[in-house]
This record gives sequence, structure tokens and C-alpha cells, in this order.
Amino acid sequence: MRDVAVISVGYTRVSEHWEKSLKGLFVEASLKALESAGLSARSLDGVYVANALSGYIQGQTNLANVLADSLGLYDKFAISIDAGGASGALAIHEAYMDVAHGIRDLVLVCGVEKMSEASPQDVVSALTSAQDQEQFKYTGITVHSLAALIYKAYLKRYKARQEDVALMSVVDHEHALTCSHAQYPFKLSVEAIMDSAFLAEPVRVLEAPSPGDGAAAIIMCPHEMAKELGLPHVRVAASEVARDRINPMEREDLLAMRALVEASRRAYEKAKVKPSDLSFAELYDDYSVMGVIALERLGLCDPGGGVELLKRGEVTLKGSVPVNTFGGLKARGAPLGAVGVYQAVEAFLQLTNNAGQNQVKGARVGLTHTSCGFNSVVVINLFEVCC
Amino acid sequence: MVTSAYWRTRLHRYRLVGNRCAVCGKAFFPPRLVCSYCGSTKLEECKLPERGRLVEYTVVYSAPKGYDVVVPYVVGIVELENGVRVVAQITDVDVNEVKEGMEVELTIRKLPEQLEGGMICYTYKFRPVIG
Repeated sequence: MRDVAVISVGYTRVSEHWEKSLKGLFVEASLKALESAGLSARSLDGVYVANALSGYIQGQTNLANVLADSLGLYDKFAISIDAGGASGALAIHEAYMDVAHGIRDLVLVCGVEKMSEASPQDVVSALTSAQDQEQFKYTGITVHSLAALIYKAYLKRYKARQEDVALMSVVDHEHALTCSHAQYPFKLSVEAIMDSAFLAEPVRVLEAPSPGDGAAAIIMCPHEMAKELGLPHVRVAASEVARDRINPMEREDLLAMRALVEASRRAYEKAKVKPSDLSFAELYDDYSVMGVIALERLGLCDPGGGVELLKRGEVTLKGSVPVNTFGGLKARGAPLGAVGVYQAVEAFLQLTNNAGQNQVKGARVGLTHTSCGFNSVVVINLFEVCC
Repeated sequence: MVTSAYWRTRLHRYRLVGNRCAVCGKAFFPPRLVCSYCGSTKLEECKLPERGRLVEYTVVYSAPKGYDVVVPYVVGIVELENGVRVVAQITDVDVNEVKEGMEVELTIRKLPEQLEGGMICYTYKFRPVIG
């Protein structure tokens, strides 16, 4: 297997981009990544498009074909990857495997999502459509209600207070303050969260992301090629994927998150790192409680200890385990299928010392945790500074 | 909803019919095609008990189209008398009076959606056992 590097990134701000189409966002992020590497689209050997909802919201299927066409990419490989919220990281995984195994050399991964074109009710349906529809359609069960059941189990088992779990969202907003691509770069207090309406009791509106539009792209190639090109780059140290039962309510233990434990265990092993070696971690906190559980199941603390880390400020940029260094899902924003690529972009910025005011000093190795269906698919990508 | 898709699921929607693995004995609702515990494809249809206990619940405020007009409503995990867990709406209960551990039973209720041509659809819900 060859070593694989990320050599360039491009991205849009996460926002409600009324004036930009799905295609427009894709082209913008992709061209930025190509320009910053001084490459033309024609030099690419393949494009991996990550998207979860275009078939539902835009009625656009066959997405990679349509988007590759918009870049004027003919004769080359293009594929769409859909795994709900895990799409972006799974596309990176596929690109990584292809480059590592010598199938392709220079590839572009672009995650794109446009959620502002759906009504709030349709967004709930769209997000819930990632669960088994034969089981959940026409039942009134929503993703928010599944999150609520997990949240209640967490509060009970660890005798935790919601005010403390909600600190996850507070930290996200604090980090987004100085992030130019964040959807919500403002401070958020625990009081404001606790005053916000319920999505499903106890989950509050301000503990979960709002619909957003955005695109993020990275260019990957063999490490040797990155050196020849003379571009700043980071190495992909591991990329691991694991699955669990898609309906979290069918799991023996609602909080065990076995796919998260398994994927991260394999990633640490492959990259020869321990959780304590991580300079930072980008967590898939689609609900505050899911971020807290991720802290624990990634081995950054013991089960039930996530809340303590938050209270002690250990997960902030100056803490011992900075997480969601640009605002995470809550504040950077969560254009669903693009999330994993945004996380990779942020890891690249950290590890190339280009994170500006959000820089984690001396960052050497970063983890991205991307998932869908309450960790029913988990992708752990590890990036590190090249020696 | 498409008529044939609705028709296809009538047994589990109307009668709480699941299935059971003939090899390892695990029961499933909704029915599965392959046993998710042992991989066997020998699954036998089985009618599930209509009574159970509400293990955990939540009150939904943000709902999909059709359900947005009936919020707040209760969704919960019901553990049936044979141990099978079903996620479903809990009905006929005030959101302030719903309790963990409550005894509940199956009931069939109308869905907010209709099929093309105005055919009315129903699904399973659970309601508190009275008395």
C-alpha cells in the first residue's frame, strides 16, 4: 500500500446560500481546492462526490455524473457516495483506498449539500429518511425522537445534568466565533439553550444543528507525488469504517456505540497512536449528547466522564483535548453529506498551521469522527503531519 | 404512500405480526428477512403479544409534514410481554401524564396521510391499559 496525502482544500461558508445551487456550491469548493494546488480539473483521475439528500430535496439523482459534467470532466471516473451524515468521510475513505492501492493517483473528494430548499417539516422527513423507511415512515417517529431516547438513557445512567451535556454546543459556538466558514459564529449560553424549544424532550433546538448549505473539497494523491509537487500536505494515517444496527433502539445497549468503538480501535492500531496522542478531534455532534458520547467511546475519557471534560474546559482550543476546533456540527454547521469533508478540511488547516485564531498549537495528529444513524455507520479518519 | 407498499405491510401494521428465527429463537418486529443474530434465513411469522410496558418515552415537538399538526405527541419504546421491543407512538395519554413503566396495549389508529384516491391508512400505536 502507498502512503496517501491530502494536498489541498477548498470550501464555502456554511450558510443558507439562496443565490447558489447545489452545482454552484460544488464547483466553487472544487475549483478553490484545484486553484490552491495549482492544478487543473483535467489533471484529476477521479472525483468522489459525497451527498445525502439531493435525491430527496432537489430530486437530483445520478449526482456524480451531473457534477463531474459541471466541472467539464470527461473520460474520467466519478462516483457518488451516500451514507447519510457519514457520506463525506466515507467518500474520503473510498478515495484513500483507491489511491493507497494504486488504482488512481490524483483525486478530488467533494461533499456538497443544500438543505435550505426544503421546508423545516421536509428536513425532519429527509433526515429521518436515513432510517429504514419500511419501519419508520408513517409512524411519526423522527430522528429527533430517537436522539431524545438516547439522551434520556445517558442522563439516567450517568446521573448527568442536561445543563452540563449542553456545554458541548456552547464549546462549538465559542470555537465558531473566529471561524470564517461557520454558519453561526456567535456565542451561545447554557441558559439560552435551556430556554429554547424542544425538538423532542429533552433535546432542545439549540443542541442540534439547523439545516445548512455548503460544499467542501480536498485533493488527495500518493505521498510521493505530494512531495514532487512541493505542496504543503498532511498524511492520512488511517481510515476505518464500522457498522452497527441501523435502528439504535434494537441495540442491546443504547449507549455502547460499538461501531464507534470498533472503528476507532482499528484506526488507532493502524496509525500506532493512542487517544492521548491526539492533538484534536472533530466529533460528529449532531446532538450535544452524541458529541459527549463520542468523547467517551473514542477513549478520550471513561464512559460517563465526557461531562467532566466539558466542565473543566479540556475540550476547548487551549484544553488538553480540543474538539470541534472550528465549531463542530452545531456552529460551523452541518450540510449533511458534506460534514466529513469539512472535518477533513479543518484537520488539514490545523496540521498545516493554517487555522488562524483557531490554531491548536503544535498540532501533530487529528481525528475526524463522522457517522450516520446514531453511529450505525462510523468512519474514523486520522490525519498527521508529515515528517 | 404507494398503495402496494401499504398493502404489503398490512400484517405488521394492523396485527403486530413479526417473525421469529427458527434457529436461535430471536423474535423481530418489524419482520426481518435474515436473522440479525445468527444469520439464519429460517424465519417464521409470529403474532406478537399486544400488551407491554413503556420502557422509555419522549414528547415530539418538531415533526414531519402531516404530523406537525398533531404535536406534541408521545413516542416510546414498548417492551412487549415476550421481551420484543417496539418503537411506536403512545396515544390516548396526556403528555404530562405519560410515565415510564406504564402498562400499554396495542391499538390501531388512523394516519395523517392518505393514499392516492383518499384511501385512509392505519398503523399500530399503544395506549395505556385502563384499570
